[in-house]
Amino acid sequence: MLVVTDLVKRYGTVQALDGFTLNVAAGEIVGLVGHNGAGKTTFVEIVSDLIRPDSGHVTIDGKPPSATRGQVGVAPQHIALYPSVTVREHLELFGRLAGLRPAALSAAIDDLAGILRLSEIMDRRTGKLSGGQQRRTQAATALVHRPALLLLDEPTAGADLETRQAMLDVVKQRAGEGAAVVYTTHYLPELTELQATIAVAQNGRVIARGTYEDLAKDLPGEVRVTLEDEEEISVSTTQPTATLIELLGRLDRPISSVDVRHPSLDDLYRSLAVHDAC
Amino acid sequence: MLVDSVPRPAGAFDALYRISAMARHNTIIRLRDPGQAISYVVMPMVLMLVLKPLYVRAVDGGATQVSTGLMVMFSVFAISLAGNAILSERTWRTWDRLRVSRAAAAELLVGKILPIFAIMVVQQVLLLTYGCLVIGLPVPSAPHYVLAAILIWAFALLALGALLAAIVRSHGELSVICDVGALTLSSLGGALVPLSLMPEWAQLVAPASPGYWALTLMQAAVRGDLAGMLPSAAILLAIGLAAGAFAARRLARGWGRGGLI
Repeated sequence: MLVVTDLVKRYGTVQALDGFTLNVAAGEIVGLVGHNGAGKTTFVEIVSDLIRPDSGHVTIDGKPPSATRGQVGVAPQHIALYPSVTVREHLELFGRLAGLRPAALSAAIDDLAGILRLSEIMDRRTGKLSGGQQRRTQAATALVHRPALLLLDEPTAGADLETRQAMLDVVKQRAGEGAAVVYTTHYLPELTELQATIAVAQNGRVIARGTYEDLAKDLPGEVRVTLEDEEEISVSTTQPTATLIELLGRLDRPISSVDVRHPSLDDLYRSLAVHDAC
Repeated sequence: MLVDSVPRPAGAFDALYRISAMARHNTIIRLRDPGQAISYVVMPMVLMLVLKPLYVRAVDGGATQVSTGLMVMFSVFAISLAGNAILSERTWRTWDRLRVSRAAAAELLVGKILPIFAIMVVQQVLLLTYGCLVIGLPVPSAPHYVLAAILIWAFALLALGALLAAIVRSHGELSVICDVGALTLSSLGGALVPLSLMPEWAQLVAPASPGYWALTLMQAAVRGDLAGMLPSAAILLAIGLAAGAFAARRLARGWGRGGLI
């Protein structure tokens, strides 16, 4: 669905993208992670056809971004809503701009109001909403026309638990229907829940991509065994479960507790970022 | 069901559908903040009443001069209405969201401007009616000429407003340019003080102001003088087309991206 090859974009002396390459298949969720300035937002803007790259190629379903407007749903990381306009009126605007006819638009709005928990606030002006409610409204405007490609740029930044869960639910639903999803975030556990493929961006390019299991297989976890006499044994290992079994076989003293920590996505990101910098 | 399988209207009808969606949306925004538009109707009505005796004593056809002059002067503030409406898209960061949609920048601009165009036409018609009923402006022999003059002037002004919104950096900057520019353009064009009473240098430079051509157009329309309307109409249409094309081109790239042209 989305094929991005070797994008380069420079703003003056700042190299925003430096050979950014990323493919996303229909029905796939790619979690794009990286520090601020890694190039995530510039990538989103180029795929949305808001800016042009200096070089490189983007195709969406085989066509350039300029030919696929309306097939892409974009929720930027900053809130971009009309404060004096209600949630329903926002959805009507973006749905109509996408060409939805009244009956289809009405059904789409009802569907989104349910899954994004907007039903209670549909007729409230967005300027009067909480940050989480605004986030959900913004996501709804990106989803109302059921785009084939979804670009969600930190959609849960600063959001409450209800908003975060609603967002994850709707992303899973849309991917299940066949939409390709790029989900940028700093909240790495969300990607585990979404069962997303992970792409790590740094210095304007993707430095690693794969499933969590693939990327984490060489990272050390930790096995910690606490004995009844309060002595603690801690082992760093790439095979925590096997190491624990071996450790338990060797110990002949009473055990108080056992803790196995598999490598987290934070460990993964730090490891990849360090390797790339070396 | 993904979007590709949704049946959509095509071509010109599709564009009209999107423009109507934008116009509807911006009408909602305008109706929720009507103060500025109301003040641009009430203020000239009060001023017409107060200034009429001066104009009647100062020049022949004083009632026509005060009515058409203040119509033109307060219509110039529509530049500010249009400019602020467009610049707010930058403040709210919504313009890029609209650009991601199927709508072309020109469609978005037209949809954005249409409600203000309607407000301006209503303002001018109200002031004209008020001028005829209260101030003593002769009832136009050819009302369709007057309507045409209003439409042409409104188009030129709103295109200028869009152009300003595309190049200024803030609402403050827009406000300064609109306030100073509107007063300068309209007074230099003879809307505030009859041209015959202005200094010689001002009379010489007056044709450089769109306000001059608007006033000439409006007064010719009120007289029913079609031949007198044509040069002014052509100049105002040219100004509107040039400004509108520039604004559409610049806004198609979003604010702050790329050079001026």
